[in-house]
Amino acid sequence: MALARYKNWLLWAVLMAVVIGWFGWGGRPQMVGLFVASGLAVGSLYALGGIGIVVLYRATGVLNFAGGAAGAAGAMTAWQLSEWGLWDPIGWLACLAVALAITLVYGRLIAPRLAWRETVVKAVATLGFALIVLGLVSFLWIDDPRAITLPTDGIGVRILGMRITATRLIVFAASILIVFGIWLFLARTRVGLQMRALANDRDLAALMGIPILRVETIAWGISGVLAGFTGLMFADLIRLEPTVITFMVIPSIAAAICGRLENLTVVLLGGLSMGVIENMLTLSPVLRGVRPIAPFVIAALVLLYYQRGQRLTFGGRD
Amino acid sequence: MKRLFHVTPSGWAGFALAAFAIVVLPGLSSSYWLSVFTSAGCFLLAISGVAFLYARLGMVSLTQVGLMGVGGWVALRLNHAFDFPFEVNLALAALSTMVFGWVLALPALRMRGLYLALVTLMAAGGLEILFATFQFPNGGEGFWGVKTGSSDPFRRPFLAQSAEDYLRYVLICAVLGFLFIELHRRLQPGRAWALIRRSEAAAMAAGVNVTLYKTWAFGITGLLGGAAGALLAGSLGLLDDGTFRASESVMIFALAVVGGARSWQGALIAAILYKVLPALLNIWGVYADLSFVIFGAGLLHAVITAPDGLAGQALGGLKALLRGKDRRDA
Amino acid sequence: MRYGKTLRMAAAVLLASLGTQAMADVSCGLNNGQAATGAPIIVGGIYGDAAPGDWSSSTDSAAAYFRCVNANGGINGRPIDYRVENDQWNPEAAAQAAALLVNDTPTVAMVGNGSFIEMAVNANTYEQAGIMVMASACAISECFETPNIVSTNQGPLPSNLGAAQYAQEELGAQHIACIGLNIPDNGVWSCQAVQDFMRSRGGDATAVLINPGAPDVNSALLEAMASGADTILINQPAGIALAILSAAEEQDLRDQYDWIAPTPLYDLSVPAAVGEYWWGHIYVNAELAPLQVNGPDAQNWAAVLDQYGRADDPRDTFGQAGYLSARFFVQAMLQMDPAQLDDRAAVGAAIRGISGYTSDLMCGPYYVGDADFHMPNHAGYMVKIVEGGFEIVRDCYEYDSPYFAPHIALETALGLR
Repeated sequence: MALARYKNWLLWAVLMAVVIGWFGWGGRPQMVGLFVASGLAVGSLYALGGIGIVVLYRATGVLNFAGGAAGAAGAMTAWQLSEWGLWDPIGWLACLAVALAITLVYGRLIAPRLAWRETVVKAVATLGFALIVLGLVSFLWIDDPRAITLPTDGIGVRILGMRITATRLIVFAASILIVFGIWLFLARTRVGLQMRALANDRDLAALMGIPILRVETIAWGISGVLAGFTGLMFADLIRLEPTVITFMVIPSIAAAICGRLENLTVVLLGGLSMGVIENMLTLSPVLRGVRPIAPFVIAALVLLYYQRGQRLTFGGRD
Repeated sequence: MKRLFHVTPSGWAGFALAAFAIVVLPGLSSSYWLSVFTSAGCFLLAISGVAFLYARLGMVSLTQVGLMGVGGWVALRLNHAFDFPFEVNLALAALSTMVFGWVLALPALRMRGLYLALVTLMAAGGLEILFATFQFPNGGEGFWGVKTGSSDPFRRPFLAQSAEDYLRYVLICAVLGFLFIELHRRLQPGRAWALIRRSEAAAMAAGVNVTLYKTWAFGITGLLGGAAGALLAGSLGLLDDGTFRASESVMIFALAVVGGARSWQGALIAAILYKVLPALLNIWGVYADLSFVIFGAGLLHAVITAPDGLAGQALGGLKALLRGKDRRDA
Repeated sequence: MRYGKTLRMAAAVLLASLGTQAMADVSCGLNNGQAATGAPIIVGGIYGDAAPGDWSSSTDSAAAYFRCVNANGGINGRPIDYRVENDQWNPEAAAQAAALLVNDTPTVAMVGNGSFIEMAVNANTYEQAGIMVMASACAISECFETPNIVSTNQGPLPSNLGAAQYAQEELGAQHIACIGLNIPDNGVWSCQAVQDFMRSRGGDATAVLINPGAPDVNSALLEAMASGADTILINQPAGIALAILSAAEEQDLRDQYDWIAPTPLYDLSVPAAVGEYWWGHIYVNAELAPLQVNGPDAQNWAAVLDQYGRADDPRDTFGQAGYLSARFFVQAMLQMDPAQLDDRAAVGAAIRGISGYTSDLMCGPYYVGDADFHMPNHAGYMVKIVEGGFEIVRDCYEYDSPYFAPHIALETALGLR
């Protein structure tokens, strides 16, 4: 059984190796290394977003479209506070706090009313919330090019010929640590056990005396903090633009799909692979122009592969 | 047979409204509002496709605007490459979008509802990239048909060259779209869909080919989306990839739910919210961003309290009013 | 591009200190100090203000100039009623804006248009309605290759050619990587011209086209590096250009390539935004005279904005272009028969008859002419980004490319050469 789990990881690693070999064949090793490193950097961002989504989905059954919007709101708050001259770390904490607050508002006030609805309906509702948050953020901060810099942007190391800043290393390390930490939390703590029970069957868990609201609040809280961190990283490494950060939720969902919305390690590997494959396609003269499509194609293929042979005989609940 | 052509009160109201819109509205509208209403009419057709799929079968398609883009692309390419009349381009665009929708959805139709939604979302993201990379045809050479410089002209229907006539044409197409869906509902597919919605297991036990009917329904969604895209191309004469982003597909699904997926009134409300409300806000000088807030709030309200959307609430209120009146009269 | 209130305030202060007579003399129209009170002449304008950028500076400056003209006698006593619409970077909204301004309102002309998309959507509308558009902030080919639109700015093609020409002549560029947007009438159009230019001079150029919505610019930079270029031409609006530069800074690529760019990076807030790392290393082509030239028209523009503009109107080259369009428009209108001022066709003919208008902001004369193409501004300056601003490295020079042959023929026919 353990072998089956590792088989998945191996599959992704082999896929990455094949793609690198295919497109990199005959190219200068240093150039190929640059593309791989850049791909890992982008991929870890996709993975980070995907991890946030899967963590919440596993605990509450809600596919949260509003994570990106909460992160965007947090990032804009951090920017605004540093514009007003406050010390930078206060802005970062404010980013996490704002994203947490927004996510908790939804999780405590709105999500319970939808707890008995289908998964799709719950996801669509988070979409509505995302639109509200995005509209308010766009209204409060007019369209101007803005940038956030973190002190770790200035420090860097050279890996595979490419200079990787400390910020990107933090994202990469954070995604690994978060996966490990969540695994520990769910597997070894009491609250984690309660969360797993809740995800399995909400009604039964309530009957057994598990404090539903408390556990769900913790789940939403963790998700909110992750959303804030992800939003800040997107703002620093991609662009500080509310619309862009909000709709990064779509490639994040692609990464989440790779893990079948449950396996965090595969989400991480899947996200990294997406980034690497997307970048390696730059070396193909034919596919170079459409390379941003790689995450979506990969996610769609993963979905179809895992759903093969499924006969939906008791449809209705989902 | 009588049941097939029976018109409900809601149907009469719809015909009356359509008659008013087709006959009177174009004359009353300035050039600005003609443009807005034509656009709303095209999206009305697309929204009806998405709404019917969700209401009748519980299937969520988050890629309808992307499919509109496919239809628009085909219509533009045919227009610039050959000399067919507009109706032929429209039909071919709708049919090819239907096939494209099948290719996307067929493998996914066996999935649980959430996974179909996710596959369509991935498709929407992919289509957004494809449109941005390859752009829309504007009279150039080659398969993609794109050239720098201004666009070649787009031939409108013979009967609808002016802006007023084109608005009428679009509205008539929208009405035909609704009638097309209603026809299906009243015939065998409608009964099969109702059974599938209730329980796929029961449908299979009753010998209904579930995959076939689900595919059929998705095909209709694609057909209507493709037709809407071709009509939009005719309205503007050219198309831009900014109109067909993944976020727009998600948005019109959300609005279809807000308006009310079960009825034509709901689709109409959705189209008005999507196109007419921002145009009004623009005239009044209000920030367009606030329309996001309104949409989002409407979506939450609809999902939480009103599964049949605003139209459902309005119709329910009307019925209650009439029932109360009858009781008083009795 | 706008960069934040504090930087704009700093720019305003800088300009106020440059133009010592700022508060004193403005020169607009008839200059008689009498408010115009006759029947208004309706003029339209379309700008684009939504993500990814705000292109309203040209219409803002044009509006300020028209206010100044209205306070100084108007057009023979008649004020200008300037109505602007926002196309929100959305082609449908652009079509609706044109429907409103051209078909529903008796506008006589459009002045100050600044947008990435509206000219493409509306070029046919303008032609059919017979209305002339004196645009100011144009980024696409329809602006320069259709009969009814003429712009005071250069647009991407000449500006990129100017940058490439400077690099080839002064920096020894042999192979330029042109990082442009994959929009056919913007990035493809201008990068193709750079390729043709470099090949005609014995070098080469590669086009690296990116999707404006793509979040990650890193791979575009890598693609440019992989092409074997020695010079990188950042053919992008300011926001994306800054993202590319910060990705390049992350990789410490500054000294491995020469860095050139067209006009969007000529913006007062850019030197501070790029940071110390890049000072002295980026060469930018300027479509209009840089601020330090400070000729009479430049000072007038600053003065007009101070007195008749709003505090948060951007002070950038697109604003100067908007001011110029408005000024040339008023100049042409003042020469018209007053009885014909409400006739769109007559105003259009008057605009097409513009020839030989000069300004210290433009290197060459402004003209329109009766042709299917209009690009009066095809000579500019080259500047270098330094601490606190820009340093002029080459004064007015004409861009040398076969693309301009028909333009030169037209100028010769109009007697401007």
